[in-house]
Amino acid sequence: MTSIPMPASAGSKTARADMPLIVEAAPRSVSVQAKDLALGFGSATILSDLNLDVRKGEITALIGPTGSGKTTFLRSLNRMNDKVAKHWHQGDVLLEGASIYAPGVQLMALRRRVGMVFQRPNPFPMSIAGNILAGVKAHRIASKDHYRDIVEARLREVGLWDAVSNRLNSSPFSLSGGQQQLLCLARALAIGPEVLLLDEPTSSLDPVTTENIEAMVRTLVPALTIVIVTHNLGQARRISDRTVFFYQGKMVESGETSQVFEDPKEPETARYVTGRMG
Amino acid sequence: MALTTRQAPAAQASIRQPKGRGPLAWLPAISRKSASNRSLLRYVAGLAALLPALALAGIIVILANKAWPAVRVNGVSFLWRSAWAPGNTYGNPVKTDGVLHPVGVAYGALPLIVGTLASSGIAVVFAVPLSIGAALAVVEKLPRRASYVVGMFLELLAGIPSVVFGLWGILTFGPVLSRDVYPAVASIMPKVPILRFFRGDTGYGEGLMTAGLVLAVMIVPIVAATTRDLLRQVPALQKEGAAALGMNEWEVVRKVSIPWVRAGIIGASVLGLARALGETMAIAMVSGSLLGTMPANLYGKMGTIASTIVQQLDGAFSDGTGFAVKTLAEFALLLAVITLLTNIAARFLVRKVSTTALPVGRGV
Ligand SMILES: Nc1ncnc2c1ncn2[C@@H]1O[C@H](COP(=O)(O)OP(=O)(O)OP(=O)(O)O)[C@@H](O)[C@H]1O
Ligand SMILES: [Mg+2]
Repeated sequence: MTSIPMPASAGSKTARADMPLIVEAAPRSVSVQAKDLALGFGSATILSDLNLDVRKGEITALIGPTGSGKTTFLRSLNRMNDKVAKHWHQGDVLLEGASIYAPGVQLMALRRRVGMVFQRPNPFPMSIAGNILAGVKAHRIASKDHYRDIVEARLREVGLWDAVSNRLNSSPFSLSGGQQQLLCLARALAIGPEVLLLDEPTSSLDPVTTENIEAMVRTLVPALTIVIVTHNLGQARRISDRTVFFYQGKMVESGETSQVFEDPKEPETARYVTGRMG
Repeated sequence: MALTTRQAPAAQASIRQPKGRGPLAWLPAISRKSASNRSLLRYVAGLAALLPALALAGIIVILANKAWPAVRVNGVSFLWRSAWAPGNTYGNPVKTDGVLHPVGVAYGALPLIVGTLASSGIAVVFAVPLSIGAALAVVEKLPRRASYVVGMFLELLAGIPSVVFGLWGILTFGPVLSRDVYPAVASIMPKVPILRFFRGDTGYGEGLMTAGLVLAVMIVPIVAATTRDLLRQVPALQKEGAAALGMNEWEVVRKVSIPWVRAGIIGASVLGLARALGETMAIAMVSGSLLGTMPANLYGKMGTIASTIVQQLDGAFSDGTGFAVKTLAEFALLLAVITLLTNIAARFLVRKVSTTALPVGRGV
């Protein structure tokens, strides 16, 4: 059963408050599953003993002190660690029950299903429209006649259309940082992923833009499954259904967001969420 | 007070000499940021910045001055004529427009303009893709040690004198090409536009194609080393973003890495082009030194402006009227103008490219 998390500051209008309450007795099905995952670079072990179910159609927040392995874990879900020097892993990650590390898995196909938005905006050196279409073209998702509609639909979805509709062919680097991040979000959404990984997507943005992005992200569930890394505990409470606490490369606790914040089971979690650690 | 460090005298000078006095008084005073010294610094810096422009203007003016009599006699049609007749240097000279010259002189620059542009064009067409490929391999593909070794060889190659390339071109590269490569290429090329230029008599290894390819080998190190350095600057964040979107390695390179540095690659190519346009020694050795006529085909003997100047200079001095030397000065002026125009064109190209695509001072 889901419950409304407490707003971070009293009186602030949260995205969550607008959402209809969906009450489901049965647990939702699992989208991504880490099974005994251990991962490292060279002789360093970054993650170990990781067992985690990411539920379908929910927002899962990953929290934890710096260096606890949140980014590394997130990147193991779309195999972005593969190219890192001396990368190794044990255990497995399942997407809809199938291993993403199985031989024969196509990285391109995997990353079409599991999208990612990075901590800092990373628009490509092409037009704003070109950015939205980059993935669409790479995966040959649509024909040319649909490009315009896709660009408009995606930009509207992230609330960027009004700001950029008159300069779709100009450089994305003239946009503000927040707008660039929204563009990257729209770009990731344009290829229609099932799972969206967000690595501190608002860490370099102002509160208002952050709030907009949070509201936007909320509208993406339950159509998508979202995993978001955040250092902003208020953000985790505002937008996530479930929260996972990482500490020193291990998953210490996971549960419904309200439970993790209000009634943490583990002492490390308690110390972290009350601001006495990290 | 004992002077223990090298900086000490300057430091002392700054103490003893009040600002503004003494020829080097501003040197140690920069850190003190006194107003008058800063304006002196600006003056000196401005002068230093003007120097290249002054040098360029000086060279052009001196060349133009030397060439002026020849320009008047050879006329505008010099630019589109094919001729090379130094005239009868033993007979009595005659005067045209008050300029003394041997009887029967006729100079036309067209074959040399074409030779210069064509050989450099061939060089760029072959060298730029090759260089980008080499740079990509070094940055994206090769293991660290291998890329270090390849980079070292690139730098070594860049340092080899052009006379060595010329000798290699005429003794080894040209003959091999004309025996094993050109005939095969010429025989399979269909009679369609552009490709039909690759047909015809392939010669013996001296000529336009060989010159272009030798130039290509000579400019690859410049373009490749610059492109390599540029590609290393492409942020990992952007490349990972492309990979995370499901692009394969080739798409990441094509859609992100190369566009990111496009303006720089154009700049590097222009550097290479400038080197090719002005290359003298190697071309003098492999061009076949054709004068007064257009190359018969893509493999035909030819000459470039630079190589012809160096090859004809000695003979030109035997022209007692000095007209031959003045004509060579006119050729030199022409080459300077061509190089200048290519650079300006490239600059426009770079600007156009960078306003549409490149991030200009707008990071986050
Ligand atoms: N490519 C790498 N090679 C070696 N060690 C790495 C690499 N990437 C990350 N690490 C190490 O893995 C550990 C976890 O890093 P990670 O980026 O996952 O932490 P994080 O929880 O995301 O931290 P933050 O909150 O600061 O972003 C760190 O100790 C880091 O030094
Ligand atoms: Mg991180």
